[in-house]
Amino acid sequence: MNATAQATALPAPSGSFTTGFSWAIGRDLTLALRHPGETLLVVAFFVLVASLFPMGVGADPQLLLRIGPGVIWVCALLAAFLSLPALFSADYVDGTLEQMTLSPHPMPGWVCGKLAAHWLVSGLPLTVLSPLLGLQYGLQPDTLAALAVALALGTPVLSLLGGACSALSLGARGGGVLLALLALPLFVPVLIFGAGAAEAQAAGLSPAPHLSLLGALLVLAVMALPFAICAAVRIALD
Amino acid sequence: MSHDYYIWMSYGAAAIVVAVEVIALRIGRARALRRIEEERDLETQD
Amino acid sequence: MNWFLFSSPSTFYRLAGSLAPWFFVLAAALAAAGLYIGFAVAPVDAVQGEVYRVIFLHVPAAWMSMFLYFVLAGWGAASLVFNTRLSAMMARAIAPTGAVFTFIALWSGAFWGKPTWGTYWVWDARMTSELVLLFLYFGFIALANAFEDPRRGDRAAALLGIIGLVNLPIIYFSVQWWNTLHQGSSVSFKGTTMHVAMFRGMMLMALACWMYAIGAALVRVRSIILEREARTRWVRELRGRPGVGAAEGSRA
Repeated sequence: MNATAQATALPAPSGSFTTGFSWAIGRDLTLALRHPGETLLVVAFFVLVASLFPMGVGADPQLLLRIGPGVIWVCALLAAFLSLPALFSADYVDGTLEQMTLSPHPMPGWVCGKLAAHWLVSGLPLTVLSPLLGLQYGLQPDTLAALAVALALGTPVLSLLGGACSALSLGARGGGVLLALLALPLFVPVLIFGAGAAEAQAAGLSPAPHLSLLGALLVLAVMALPFAICAAVRIALD
Repeated sequence: MSHDYYIWMSYGAAAIVVAVEVIALRIGRARALRRIEEERDLETQD
Repeated sequence: MNWFLFSSPSTFYRLAGSLAPWFFVLAAALAAAGLYIGFAVAPVDAVQGEVYRVIFLHVPAAWMSMFLYFVLAGWGAASLVFNTRLSAMMARAIAPTGAVFTFIALWSGAFWGKPTWGTYWVWDARMTSELVLLFLYFGFIALANAFEDPRRGDRAAALLGIIGLVNLPIIYFSVQWWNTLHQGSSVSFKGTTMHVAMFRGMMLMALACWMYAIGAALVRVRSIILEREARTRWVRELRGRPGVGAAEGSRA
């Protein structure tokens, strides 16, 4: 580097994972709180659909007890589909995503920040509300607890997997439907283990195996998917 | 339903699907070659 | 030998063209042998009777459906790592054949399940995972074709394939994790509990499916190469050759 270049070059600002993370999570949460309608929509959809099922299948307590955990889990999945397209697309369309990629902060940092914000406004409310919905199905307190723990472990995985599918389908023909097609197969193990945990508890068995598997999925997702999402965003921006 | 029915349905469906795939392969190749010929015709028209 | 010679579409196009017919011939021969052993040599099952012979289709198809996804993801990964167009084209070429085998596995599984378990569809781990695998194939094909720029589709689908690859171990080990209706895995590397003729029939059919899959993928990738490389000189020079024009007869 010659002297002129050295004199005019700005010192590269150093970015860090945590700075990027806290910036992204703060920004996305602020945006979400500014548009409470969209975030409440997800929650409302979750509650609405879960409340519709008994009207459709009949109020037989035994039946509701049996389908409750599964229905609530499916509603969580469907609610995720509502919130996932907006995760990256708004920023992609107005160019913010490109700016964030060019920033000195390591990409996984702010990506995780966005994902964390997404979970806080979608997965977490669902997890907190699930006991109320479970009561509609007549689930016992121990089942409700197992269901809530399962959702607490599983919904972050849904955010991560859904985030990957959302990044992959940025700007694609087919939009939200394509995202659903991509995400549904990936969601299935989470759904099976998550609902299985609550069902096991309801049947008197221990939910521990299912919850352990969910935990393992969560660990794997947290370790691997942020990098995949970064790669997907880079592919989208090329 | 005799057991032959199930065997025939399984292997028959497989045979049909494989035949469909082979036909689709031929159609795909024909389409690709046709597109190349169309481009050549367009070029020679200039 | 310069392996990267074959990563050039023009070279690979010719190689695939000369190899593909042999794979189909092999597939037919192996299938004939496998079905002969499966239907004429292997004995009747004590419990299930004749209908167990669906196993010579169902199990190889299921194996191929999983194996092809693995290969597809491998080609996708290669295309991302080496940035080679041909690797991505191979992944695209494999996907429909993988979906075909998945469908065959599901369909034959249903028609095996009805006489043996009493119902066409069972939501056990293996069948459910096979259904999920079918949607993974659909998703791959849909994503690859969802963009104007085919290279964007290549890369996105390749990444999706790698992510979906995580699903495969869950499929494979699901039988061990759950108590299900599905038959416990009776073919392991330590030996087998089934009659040796049944095993041989299954292996021959598996090889037949494998040869067919390679043949189909090679034919399909040739079409993909022609479409993607249409602007290159070697493709244009193909047009003048009599074999190319004559094969299609009169342009309809």
